Amino acid sequence: MKQILTVDDSSSIRQMVSFTLSKAGYQVAEAVDGKDGLTKAGQQKYDLIITDLNMPNMDGIQMITALRKLPGYGFTPILMLTTESQNEKKDAGRKAGATGWIVKPFKADQLIVVLQKLVK
Amino acid sequence: MDVASRPDVTCTLEKAGQELQSLLLDSRAEIERVGKDFEELAHRIDAILDLAAGVIGCVEDERVSSILPKVQTLGMEAKKFIQQRLLASGGILEIVTTEAKSLGHLSQLTRSQRSIARETQMLSVLTNIEVARLGESGAGFEYLAHQLDDFSQSVARDTKELTGHTDARKTEIEETRRMLGIEEPRMREEFSRIEADLGDALAAVNRGLTELSGTPARFRSCVEEISGQIAGVVAAVQANDITRQQLEHVCEALRLISAEIRDGSGREPAAEYSLSRISAGLAIQIYQLRSVRETVDDWVSQIRNCMGGILKISSFEIERIGPVVLDQEKDLAQQLARIDAIEQECQINTKKVEKTFVALSTLMQLVSEHLDKSRVIRDRLQVLTFNSIIEASHLGTQADAILEISQSIKRISALWSEMTEQSGKAKEEILNLVEQARKGIDLGSETGKNGLQEAQVETRTGLENLRAAAAFSSKQAVEIEARIRELKAKIAAAGSVGDRLDACFAQIDTVLKEIEELKSRFKSDSPGVLDSHELAEVEAKLSPFYTTEIEREVMRAALSGAPLPVAEKIMAGNDVELF
Repeated sequence: MKQILTVDDSSSIRQMVSFTLSKAGYQVAEAVDGKDGLTKAGQQKYDLIITDLNMPNMDGIQMITALRKLPGYGFTPILMLTTESQNEKKDAGRKAGATGWIVKPFKADQLIVVLQKLVK
Repeated sequence: MDVASRPDVTCTLEKAGQELQSLLLDSRAEIERVGKDFEELAHRIDAILDLAAGVIGCVEDERVSSILPKVQTLGMEAKKFIQQRLLASGGILEIVTTEAKSLGHLSQLTRSQRSIARETQMLSVLTNIEVARLGESGAGFEYLAHQLDDFSQSVARDTKELTGHTDARKTEIEETRRMLGIEEPRMREEFSRIEADLGDALAAVNRGLTELSGTPARFRSCVEEISGQIAGVVAAVQANDITRQQLEHVCEALRLISAEIRDGSGREPAAEYSLSRISAGLAIQIYQLRSVRETVDDWVSQIRNCMGGILKISSFEIERIGPVVLDQEKDLAQQLARIDAIEQECQINTKKVEKTFVALSTLMQLVSEHLDKSRVIRDRLQVLTFNSIIEASHLGTQADAILEISQSIKRISALWSEMTEQSGKAKEEILNLVEQARKGIDLGSETGKNGLQEAQVETRTGLENLRAAAAFSSKQAVEIEARIRELKAKIAAAGSVGDRLDACFAQIDTVLKEIEELKSRFKSDSPGVLDSHELAEVEAKLSPFYTTEIEREVMRAALSGAPLPVAEKIMAGNDVELF
């Protein structure tokens, strides 16, 4: 079963991501912020990471930058799930190494289709 | 002292901020509860859908899905069978009427034969008298007298036998004719009624089975609809995160405004400038809160509708799937039993017709035997005629009387030959009737019955499969019903999610009212308007707070006095943009 990590300071978002992906047959782990996400990613290899942008302790961009330096995470798909839709923010995400961008709320069926493509 | 320097203003702002913080805490707890309730609801729905999918699997099974064409064939065969029965009963009545006429001819024939027998008896007596008168020379005619006696007795016996049978048959045939005369229109009416009823019944089964065959598509549409509603709730719960951030930003802004008031109090030259900025800041927060209110109303109503929708689909559509299969099994079993009854009823009528046929065959045998005997008699009469004329010629005038008798025998022989010919014709007539009757019975029994029986066997097999599916569906239906009951009870116990969220976010209105009142005090005290430089400054200062485009749009609208921007509907959710 493919392992997904959802990183968000909002418990309801984590809950909805977990719910949607578990229903589609993925194993989902949760992290409450970038720092927590980085720690968890270091402990276990995840096939895909979905992260928020604005979070306390460590934001999504910082986490992606750090993740890309971790062994085994050079090409792991990372999607940003955020309320932000500004192009400058998207550029920052892309530069940090994000694979894609979703403005909250996500479309459940389309997210699963994308995941199926990214995690083979 | 201007309004901005009053301590109650900062108090009001701090109080509003605290109220919003408290609302955020409450709403976080409430939305977590909603999320959990929703997850449980979704799991329960999944379990219900799994049970219903089992029933659908049965319905989609080839053994059940092929029942509809089988029932349609059965309907066609049953109709054909009834029509053939109607045709056969009409044909039999015709045969019986013709047979009655043939019997009339036979009776006439036997009457004529009896009269010949009497005449021959008289000739035998006369011959004996003549033999006595002639003495020794008439001894040769004793044989003639004996033959005539034997002949008359034989004819009397045969005609008596045939008359007995024809009379009995006449009574019987009259009874059959009478019975068929009454029965046939009744049967015709009855068959028409059965045909119409059967048509209605089969149409009902047809409708039912069509409905049954449409169940998988309806189920899939329900699953799709439920999936859409679930996606709606998922999107709406996520939307809470947007409003949560908006409210946090309002709290932060109120804290900054309050700090600015505190910092600016007592500094007269800065007061007017500060006052305008504070007024603009409050206007922005009022706009933000109104926007939040609208968005909250939007996603709360989406959660309410979607969860209500899920329950409704489950109750009205999914719960019906099991009973649809059960109903069809009952309907089909009922209609098969009905066709069996019709078949039995037709069987009784066929037996009546068959009885007529057996009697007709017996009569045919008798007529045939009688004809054979008549032919023998005809030949004997011809020989007797010939011999008696030769013998009488030898005796000359002494045997004038015998010659007269011989002439009578000749006449009788000619008559008899004619009657034998008529008997032959009667036999042909009856033979034709027997053939017609046989065809009628075949038409009414075997030919039509075979097709019907095959269709019945096929449908019965289909019924067995449907019965197995119904037994499974019945078990599943009970389980589905129980699960839906539990689901309803669970939802009732949890109360309305929408109402709970409405109550939770109602506090926004109170805070909004407080800030609006404060803003109007500012307006009456100092209707200061920001110039473009100040506008840009406020926008630059507040923009970094905002993490959503709608917040930025709302801010710009507030600063320019434009109407509140309409938030995008969240039902659909957003796509993934891959880099």
